[in-house]
Amino acid sequence: MIKYRSQNLKPIAYLLLILSLLVVFFLCVCIGSVTIPIHNIVSIIVNLILNKPIPEGVAGMIILQVRIPRVLCVAFVGAALSICGAAMQGVLRNPLADGTTIGVSSGASLGAVLAIAFGFSIPGIENGGVVLMAMVFAFISLLFIIALAYKLDCTLSTNTIILIGIIFSMFVSSIISFIITFAGEKVKHIMFWTMGSLADSTYEKALTLFLLLMVFGTIILINAEELNAFAISEDNARNTGVDVKRVKLLMLISVAALIGVCVSIGGTIGFVGLVIPHMMRMITGPNHRKSLPVTLFMGAIFLMLADLLARVILKPLELPIGVVTSFVGSIVFVYIFYHARKR
Amino acid sequence: MKKISNVIVLIALAVSIVILGGCSKGQDSSSNVAGSKIVVTDMKGREISLAKPATKVVAITAADCEILYALGAGDTLVGRGEYCNYPEAVSEVIAVESGAETNIEQIIALEPQIVFMNTMAQDVETVEALENAGIQVAVSVASDIEGVYEAIALIGAVVGKDAEATKLVEQMKDQFSEISANANSEEEKTVYFEVSPLEYGLWTAGSNTYMDELSQMLGLKNIFADVEGWGEISQEQVLERNPDYIITIAAYMGEGMKPEEEIAQRSGWDKIAAVENERILNVNADIISRPGPRLTEAAQVIFDFIYKE
Repeated sequence: MIKYRSQNLKPIAYLLLILSLLVVFFLCVCIGSVTIPIHNIVSIIVNLILNKPIPEGVAGMIILQVRIPRVLCVAFVGAALSICGAAMQGVLRNPLADGTTIGVSSGASLGAVLAIAFGFSIPGIENGGVVLMAMVFAFISLLFIIALAYKLDCTLSTNTIILIGIIFSMFVSSIISFIITFAGEKVKHIMFWTMGSLADSTYEKALTLFLLLMVFGTIILINAEELNAFAISEDNARNTGVDVKRVKLLMLISVAALIGVCVSIGGTIGFVGLVIPHMMRMITGPNHRKSLPVTLFMGAIFLMLADLLARVILKPLELPIGVVTSFVGSIVFVYIFYHARKR
Repeated sequence: MKKISNVIVLIALAVSIVILGGCSKGQDSSSNVAGSKIVVTDMKGREISLAKPATKVVAITAADCEILYALGAGDTLVGRGEYCNYPEAVSEVIAVESGAETNIEQIIALEPQIVFMNTMAQDVETVEALENAGIQVAVSVASDIEGVYEAIALIGAVVGKDAEATKLVEQMKDQFSEISANANSEEEKTVYFEVSPLEYGLWTAGSNTYMDELSQMLGLKNIFADVEGWGEISQEQVLERNPDYIITIAAYMGEGMKPEEEIAQRSGWDKIAAVENERILNVNADIISRPGPRLTEAAQVIFDFIYKE
């Protein structure tokens, strides 16, 4: 029964993934808080592509200025968070690692809050200071959490790092509360910011996310083989000729950059990076060369659908997207934890 | 500290003598002055009895503080919630923590006879603990303008300012009905209240809010009247409902774009009637979202904006 199995995804699989991504994207653009007839939407999109004038009216505005940028941002955030989760789980050999569970998202929030409180900005780039500080703090907290976990428990066991992550998150939230107390005029700004929202998605934000995802997502993807080597053990990776330190550093930088930008644009969206990589590994098996690209696509699809639910379920009201992802995510988390323990 | 409290006691005594001497004819539906004993029912239906009008009061909510000052009873305040900021004199009163951080010890140390609080984050335990310490608790929860009148009557009764309370309510009613009478609503215009800007997710005030009530008074139709209370709403809905006026209560942080400018430059919003005709108003959140006497001020500000162009 030994069958040769390709290391990589088959082209047909890629085709299917791209197709379902497009279908879900189109679905999410078509359905929204305001009901717009499908033929209107098609004519708007066709006119846009053919560079013809967009029909007058509110429908064009809603589709082009509100829905498409939002669905784009959501898709990129979903892809980025999922692949970060997969990369962290691979590097740390820890099935429960994710931006929210190990405290990296909290660290990113702290960076962003500091940037707002002290008015740190990069001239010429809107919100550049906030994004950069979120990235830097995501990286610092990642290093800090991992170093502490190593110190306590060399194997980086599941429980130790999650525990440290939780403690770190609490620590950070107390610091944020402390900053809020002393931030004076900017208090409201920070408080609202910590609630995070993708409601004001723009094409500029989508572009920022896309470019960063292209750079750091690619770095993670091309290191799939190294992540496979890590999966057995770090020693194994070293013995098979992997430059462990370099790969680790690259992964951590990529993860920090992506989580930083996602948090600074959309706030903390929990559990996406935990649930998607897991579900995908169940389908593709542990090989990162297969699971990583699938995770990337399915992360985008999952978050687009979660956002769709958040947008329409209570219309004209909107739910925060984190409510939907945390609801689904925490259930899956318990399921995974339960099965990991039983094994 | 001791000196200050002595001074406060002296002031309180002086005030109580003045009150006892000067004010005993005002009768309110919710108060029952038997001799000098005051029996009132608070807005949760709890009965409160005081031997004499309260002279040492702690008010947790900003609205209750404003009511006390409007009744001329600001000097009875020995403690205030940390968010009370109007009138200016209130800043000299000792601030106590409020909401989930309500600090019972802090309140007890101020030795008030009564504490005014709402039901937002105060739990039954807080109330019980205060009552065990011999401090009365009156709950004032106004969810509409009628409720504000009730709160004014309640607070007036407790501090022995019934007449002032009746007068204040009359004044407010007169002002409202004058504004309402001048609001000529030949064709119904629509309004969108923005409580939180797009950046943090749009929040609006739907039906059963002071803002909604004010809009009805001014002959405006709230585009989110189908939303109950406060809610996070979809940007698409605002574009589709195309309001004639936008009223934002966002605070200007002193840097960057003003709230009105920020709304006007949002992509896709330029076709909204309110944005096209530059009919965006920034109203101070303190006057429009507090169940206090300054709601008339809010009504006036909006009236001026709409009808005096």
